[in-house]
This record gives sequence, structure tokens and C-alpha cells, in this order.
Amino acid sequence: MSPVLRLLLRRLGISLIVLIGVSMLIFTIARVIPGDPARIALGPNATPEQVANLRAEMHLDEPLVLQYGHFLADVSRGDLGTSLYTNRPVTLDIAQFLPATLELVLIAGIIMVALGLPLGILAARYRGRWPDHLIRIFSLLTVSAPSFVWAVILMLLFAFYLPIFPIAGRISDIYDIDRHTGFLLIDTLLAGNIAAFGDAIRHLILPAVALALSGIGQAARLTRANMVETYDKPYIEMAQAYGFFPSRIARIYAFKPSLIPSLTIIGLDFAAMLGNAFLVEAVFAWPGLSRYGVAVILRKDLNAIMGTVLIIALTFLIVNVIVDLLIAFLNPRIRHSTRAT
Amino acid sequence: MSALLSISDLHLGFKGLSGINNVLHGISLNIAQGERVALVGESGSGKSVTARIVLGLLQETRSARISGAVKFDGNDISAMNPKARAALRGTDMSMIFQDPTSSLNPAFTIGRQFTEVLRRRDPSMGADACQERATKMLGEVSILDPNRVLNAYAFQLSGGMNQRVMIAMALANRPKLLLADEPGTALDVSVQAQTLTLMRNLVADHGTAVLFISHNLGVVREFADRVYVIYRGNIVEDGPTQALFSDPRHAYTRALMSAVPRITGAGLPEVPEVSEDFFAPQISHGGVA
Repeated sequence: MSPVLRLLLRRLGISLIVLIGVSMLIFTIARVIPGDPARIALGPNATPEQVANLRAEMHLDEPLVLQYGHFLADVSRGDLGTSLYTNRPVTLDIAQFLPATLELVLIAGIIMVALGLPLGILAARYRGRWPDHLIRIFSLLTVSAPSFVWAVILMLLFAFYLPIFPIAGRISDIYDIDRHTGFLLIDTLLAGNIAAFGDAIRHLILPAVALALSGIGQAARLTRANMVETYDKPYIEMAQAYGFFPSRIARIYAFKPSLIPSLTIIGLDFAAMLGNAFLVEAVFAWPGLSRYGVAVILRKDLNAIMGTVLIIALTFLIVNVIVDLLIAFLNPRIRHSTRAT
Repeated sequence: MSALLSISDLHLGFKGLSGINNVLHGISLNIAQGERVALVGESGSGKSVTARIVLGLLQETRSARISGAVKFDGNDISAMNPKARAALRGTDMSMIFQDPTSSLNPAFTIGRQFTEVLRRRDPSMGADACQERATKMLGEVSILDPNRVLNAYAFQLSGGMNQRVMIAMALANRPKLLLADEPGTALDVSVQAQTLTLMRNLVADHGTAVLFISHNLGVVREFADRVYVIYRGNIVEDGPTQALFSDPRHAYTRALMSAVPRITGAGLPEVPEVSEDFFAPQISHGGVA
């Protein structure tokens, strides 16, 4: 078995265990916190019989272990139950709201990598000189404030005082796009509507930048630090002794060995964006999973809470597995090792 | 025979917080085409910086203050711009470093690095041509399974194997001058001896001139045609290897030679750290090209 395949199987196994652990934890917490979900769902005017009936229907009068058993059996059939808040299957709700969040997070992640890594390379290449100082000040600034603060600042600057970008939402109301995937950037292209595609991108920029900003700073700082260390290695002096251009040395000979330690952290940052996205979505009235998540938690909508948390945990784990594979692909020491790592 | 490399009155200082810290005090050195010259001295005597000035690397360090003439192949390196100096590196000059395993990039295969080196000379060289030339060069350093080595990473090969790879890379573009900065010091003695013999035969075949930097007199005696002894940024004695070893006249040279450990005898002699005699004027045994 190739080392990479073994790594993949190991990581998938661990992910499954983590997922089960998360589900147990949330399952217990959601049921231990005060408040009767059946009472909240039926409202103050329901009779005690109605409440008791609903409790029985939701298995709430059974022991916790049995309840969890029912839950697992349902999940294995792909059934996350019905939301008491929207009165629809939770899977349907998540299918509606998750793409908006994923689209935001994916674009923010791309912005983070596409700006953070080159800034880090540039800072390391000109370490101690003015491009380095500028980039370090910028990085410090961006990591110093959480993304929802940047969301408010960016919204005020570029949507309110300078109305370059739309202030909120995913797309203007004038466009009526068929939702096939839920990803508007894809759906608008499927519809062949270039104007709507541009409009969706304009709506995406501010929230995505706000979400990415601290990640950009983090990635730039990390890349710079690792590369400055790499620049002291003999193989960089060797590359210089062979007359390669300084920019080539920075981009290739110093960058690739430095990328491997950075990548783990960048992957974690990327996954952490899922959590930060909740607040950014709130600021930009982005119809993602956050508003749904907050609403169902406040209403103690047990099935919807479980579904939302599980989906987010799953996304987090998938991102981590992808990052691990990427590292294995980039790092020959893992790819060619015969030991499990 | 004209000199390939001629250094005259080279001064080097580093600008520090408390003024300029002088490292080289006007050294002069010549290497003829195809000649093997050793520069011998203790750590901190200025050997390695000399090699880095010849390569044009130190000129790019902002704190370095360099004066004097360094002529390579008829052109004054100190008068060139950084681009012209960079053009010489990896083509007409190349360098071998102390520790072969950490001098090869851990993120790329040997083959990829070899290709990049070959394209320094001829950027249009195709992948197959590079592979063929690399295979041939690895054959010259007695590597029996070049394909395995080309597909490997440095950490998968032994130190001695990496040293051979370094030698093959350094000579692949037929440089006129090879700078060897304590090559193989990081290897064990027998592997070092093996690779040095290999390198000696190769440069002799190719007619490559070598500036061999070392503190190891035994190795120098085997390798070099001529020796310069450097002490605290000054050349104190120079001459053909045979003449210098049989009749060391400068106090520092004698001290250096008596510091070579021997299997028989009573261990290391007491050698003074600094002696007034070490500052005596340069002694030359002649033999300069």
C-alpha cells in the first residue's frame, strides 16, 4: 500500500471517530440545556396533552442513550429529521443554506492563499528593506482585528461612503437565476447570464475580503518567517553560487521547502473561516448557514442544531484531510517514507 | 601561461556598529588555467570570504566593503554589475560546499536540480538532453545507477553519494574555475578521501582550475599544485606544494603543520594561539604563473 493511501485511510478513520465524538457532545449539550423543545415548538397556548404527544413523537421521554440510538439510525439512513423552525427536513434546509456559506468561505480561502503567500515571499525576498516593513505592518494590522470588525469597516468604507460595492446580500433582486447547485457563481454561468455573474462577484468581494483579511496576514507572516529561516540554509547559498536569479530563488528554491510547515496552519485558518463566516454573514445579511444556525439554536430546534453542527464539523474535517494530502504530496519525506506518519 | 584568476591587493571589511571590521588586509593570489591551488588557514582567517568574493556573492552584501582587483579570465569582477557577475556563476565558475546533503534542496529531486544547473549554460536544453547529460556526468563520478539517483531526493542518498552528485553538478557546465570550500568536511574521512581523489582526477581530465579552501594540510598536500597560507586576512607564505611542505619558513606555517595530528608520536603539540612571529612578512617560494 502506498504511503499516501495509508495516510488517507488513517485520516478518514480518525475523522469518523471525531465526527461521532462531536455528535455525542452536541447531542448531550443540546438536551441538557434548560427549556423544553416541544413546549417551545408548540407555543404557549398548546395543551399539556399536545406537548406530551410531541415529546413522545420526538422520543424525548426516553433515556438519552436510546435517543442517541434513534438519532444514529436516522443519520445512517441520511435522515437528519425535521426542523421545528422551518417545518421542513433539516437536510433540505442545509442544502439550501450551506452553498452560500461554502461559496463565501471558498472564495475567501482562495483570496487568502493568492495574496498571503506572495506577500510572504516578497517580504522574505526583501527582508529588512522597505517592502518587508510595509508587508509586516499590513500583516500585523490585519491579524489584530477579528473578521467581523473588518466586515463593518469595509462595509462602511466601500459600500457606504464610497458606494463601489453593494452593501448586503448575494445578488441583486433584478436577476432571477435558477438554483441548480446553490453556488451562485456556478448557477449564473449555467444560466449563461454574464451580467448576473458579475453582480454576484461584486456582492461576494467585500464579505470574502473581510473574512480573508486576517488569514492573509497570518499566511504572509508565517511564509515570511519560514522563508527567512530557509534563506540561511546551505542549499540557498548553493543556488546563489549557481547564479540563479534572486526572484527565482525566492519563488522556487526557498519557497517550496518553506511552504510545507506553513500549509498546516493555513489549512487550519481556512477551516476556522467557517466559524468566522457566521459573524461576517450576519454583518452582510448573507443568506448562509449562520442565520439558520443562530435561529435554530435560539429556538432549541434539536434536529436542526445537530444537522448544522454535523455539517460544519464534516466540512472542517474534509478540509483537514485535503490539507494533509496536499502536504503529503508536497513533502517528499512523507511521500517516500515507508513508515506511517 | 596567463592567469585565469588574479587577485591583487584585495581588502574586505564589514561595516558594523562600531565602525569597519577588517577581514582581509590586501591579499594577492593567482591561479593559472587548469591549476589546482589551495588556500590554507584556520577558521576565521578569511579563506571562505575570499571564495565568495571571487563568486561575486559577497558584493551583494550591503555591509561588505571591498577594494582591490579580482580579475577572472581577463575581466575585472569588481567592476561588473551584479547581473554580469551572476552570469559567470554556474557557467564559468562553480562551487562545491562543505556539507553535500544540506547543500542540495530537500524539496526537489536530484534530476530536477541537475536540469536547472544544466540550463544555466544552455536554457534551451530539452528534458531528454538534460537527462542524458546528467546520466553521463554521474557516470563520470562513478555512480553506477544514475537513474535511481536522478529520481531520488538528497535525504534518500548517502553523504558520499551526495558529494559525488555535487561534484558532477559543479563540473557539468565545464567551468573554467571550481571553488571548493572545505569539500566533504562533513563526511567521514575515508569517504572524503575517496571523493577527493575522484574530484582530483576529474578536474585534471577537464583541465579545470581549482581554488581549494581547506584547513586540512594532509588533504591539501594530496590535491594541490600550489599552496597559499592565510593567517588573519594576510597571506603569509606561498609556493609549490612540494617546496612549501618540505621547507616551511613562516612561523605560522610551521605552527599549522605541527598541529596536524599523527597516529604515532605524543599527540598534539602546543601551538600558540597568536604569536608575534605569525605577523612576519610574506614568504614566497616562487612558482607563480
